[in-house]
Amino acid sequence: MALAALRREGRRFAPMISPRPITALRSSPLAPSLEDEGPIGVRYISTQVVRNRMKSVKNIQKITKAMKMVAASKLRAIQTKAENSRGLWQPFTALLGDLPSADVKKNVVVTISSDKGLCGGINSTSVKISKGLHKLNSGPEKETKYVILGEKAKAQLIRDSKKDIELIITELQKNPLNYTQVSVLADEILKNVEYDALRIVFNKFHSVVSFVPTVSTVLSPEIVEREAESGGKLGDLDSYEVEGGETKGEILQNLAEFQFSCVMFNAVLENACSEQGARMSAMDSSSRNAGDMLDRLTLTYNRTRQASITTELIEIISGASALEG
Amino acid sequence: MTLNLCILTPNRILWDSEVKEIILSTNSRKIGVFSNHAPIAATIDIGILRIRLNDQWLTMALMGGFAKIDNNEITILVNDAEKGSDIDPQEAHQALEIAEANLRKAEGKRQTIEANLALRQARTRVEAINAIS
Repeated sequence: MALAALRREGRRFAPMISPRPITALRSSPLAPSLEDEGPIGVRYISTQVVRNRMKSVKNIQKITKAMKMVAASKLRAIQTKAENSRGLWQPFTALLGDLPSADVKKNVVVTISSDKGLCGGINSTSVKISKGLHKLNSGPEKETKYVILGEKAKAQLIRDSKKDIELIITELQKNPLNYTQVSVLADEILKNVEYDALRIVFNKFHSVVSFVPTVSTVLSPEIVEREAESGGKLGDLDSYEVEGGETKGEILQNLAEFQFSCVMFNAVLENACSEQGARMSAMDSSSRNAGDMLDRLTLTYNRTRQASITTELIEIISGASALEG
Repeated sequence: MTLNLCILTPNRILWDSEVKEIILSTNSRKIGVFSNHAPIAATIDIGILRIRLNDQWLTMALMGGFAKIDNNEITILVNDAEKGSDIDPQEAHQALEIAEANLRKAEGKRQTIEANLALRQARTRVEAINAIS
């Protein structure tokens, strides 16, 4: 009778006692020292280890989800500011033009990047473009210098272009960005750096998923005069009568400085928006990956659990049958 | 011919519509602009801008910047601007008094320059209120 009961029990649990080895576990990344050789030649991992792994992945998922929401709220706050500042530099471009192709002797590349990481690839693209501009504008008579805003670009550029760096500014976003702060910064740059053309490299914020690296060019007043004389887009500049009491040269100088600070302001805001947007999408894909990992680990965990139950049962049953027979 | 005025500050667009005439105070003098004005690029000092729409005059306080006039389009870019009607008279008077006091207390070149600047800004704001009323 006991045998019959055992046979019944055996049939009920038969599907679980499969001689098929659990091959998926072999590709598991856990250390082999934690695997045991079971009686059927099955290798399985301790459930404790899988459970620990699941806990840490879940924590990471919570953190990345929270970071995404924080980035989204920061983006909302700064996006309106960026859009409002866009109108400011357009008249300058209409009047003075944006000539990236102007051939000048002293180029200064102003690279704008973020201070914090985990924001996708935006900083690397900015640095790549800055290096490209540097290469493009270096030659026998031309030279290019860097002005760096932000820790990330500093870390990348200081490695191989240390001698070309003029000015490094970090912790830009400690206080909320406003025009006064940026105009003081622009002032500092203009005072300390000799330039014929300033090329500002930043990520323009088109939408939450699209950030385009852009270069805005601000020319020094002498170059503006030179280009105006040679005709082309800036040729209309001379048709403007200049008011304001001082000489035309002085007014152009003031105009160029004002243009630089406006363009910088817009660039810094747009870069900040792009940073938050990129962080949002990076954290979002992180959370999704963590979710996938969690699913895979749950499957592994269940399989491990079932395997351990199975071996226990086998032991019990074989022990009992040994006693019987 | 309609004259279109656009006033821009780093923080927002303050005005973007048609006007009949404006009186702008540049660094050297005040100029009046009607439609079909010759093209001009001017620097604007800290002062008042008067706008006329159909026999009604509006005042705005501008804090320095640039103006570009061509093709019946006036573009004014300033560091800061406030509509006369948006300024609170009491607050503006108080700001003026504080600015005057700061100027008297100022020591050193830099503080004096800053105090002067603040005073001119406060004065402009008070003028802007007075000019309407």
